[in-house]
Amino acid sequence: MKKLSSIILLTSLVLLLAAPFAFAEEAAEAAAAGGNRIDYFKFAVLGATLGIGLAAFGTGIAQGLGLGKACEGVARNPGASGKITTTLIIGLAMIESLCIYALVVVLIVFFVNPFKI
Amino acid sequence: MHEEKTILDIIVNPHVVPHYVSFAVLASLILIVLALIFRASMKLIPRGTQNLLETVGEAMLKLSEENIGHHYGKTFFPLLATLFTYILLSNFMGLIPGFVSPTSNINMTASMAIPVFLATHIYGVRAHGFHYIKHFVGPVRSLYALPLMILMFIIEVIGHLARPLTLSVRLFGNMVAKHIILIVLAVLAPAFVPMAILGLGVLVSVVQAFVFTLLTTLYLAGAVEEAH
Repeated sequence: MKKLSSIILLTSLVLLLAAPFAFAEEAAEAAAAGGNRIDYFKFAVLGATLGIGLAAFGTGIAQGLGLGKACEGVARNPGASGKITTTLIIGLAMIESLCIYALVVVLIVFFVNPFKI
Repeated sequence: MHEEKTILDIIVNPHVVPHYVSFAVLASLILIVLALIFRASMKLIPRGTQNLLETVGEAMLKLSEENIGHHYGKTFFPLLATLFTYILLSNFMGLIPGFVSPTSNINMTASMAIPVFLATHIYGVRAHGFHYIKHFVGPVRSLYALPLMILMFIIEVIGHLARPLTLSVRLFGNMVAKHIILIVLAVLAPAFVPMAILGLGVLVSVVQAFVFTLLTTLYLAGAVEEAH
């Protein structure tokens, strides 16, 4: 029973991952006459959502780890809470800026339209 | 963003002078006028707003002297304090409706990051002479480690070139993201949710100004350190 359910889940996962490519091919043929602009934005949207999602995922983990260690430090030594908080905020800003780089790339793809399509 | 109507449109035509330039001039004028007003009426025992300015000035001086050292601490204090107050004022200007924050344009942030980059190298050469090159080659400095030194040199150069890029993109990205989130949430859920984002925007503005200044301090300290 476990083997059957895992086979079913794996098959559905493969279908789910392959579906956008199958649809993209059909839609690309249909829209090739309509213009490359639509094509560009289709893939741009897909890439952008994946990009920001992954960036936020990594940022969440990294900031969570930092915050955890900061809480531990304050619990051990409540007198140093001011310095620890300052260091924590600076560290969070640095990690956040990695997500901001991904955001800037997405904004460039959408608004600056670097390929002049 | 020439479609935006800002408060300086009545004085300056936005097609001739872009928004970020006119608001940068406004921010500079505000800072200069404030400085002149307080210089003219300085008292030995501070009252009122002079307290605030003394606190900020002392905090910047302490930051500079603690991290850079006594030899160059006072040299860099004007640059750091100006960067902090100017970026703080520019970031806050973006939160007011009808104003545009000059730091939400990559030209403005790059115009602050590139002089910092040049200053680190110029002051490093001035402090150390030709031995400044030793900062780039890594911990092992003998003739037998030449491949390692060359590899370290390449990696350090890439790291150094990434510094002005990250400084400018970090500040620019934060300000643009704040602006876009405000616009999107104002369309989706007006009246109360954007207020939470405004609060977050205040925090982000202060933190980003501080992080820019702190990173500048650390880069300068790394360039002029006397340990070697």
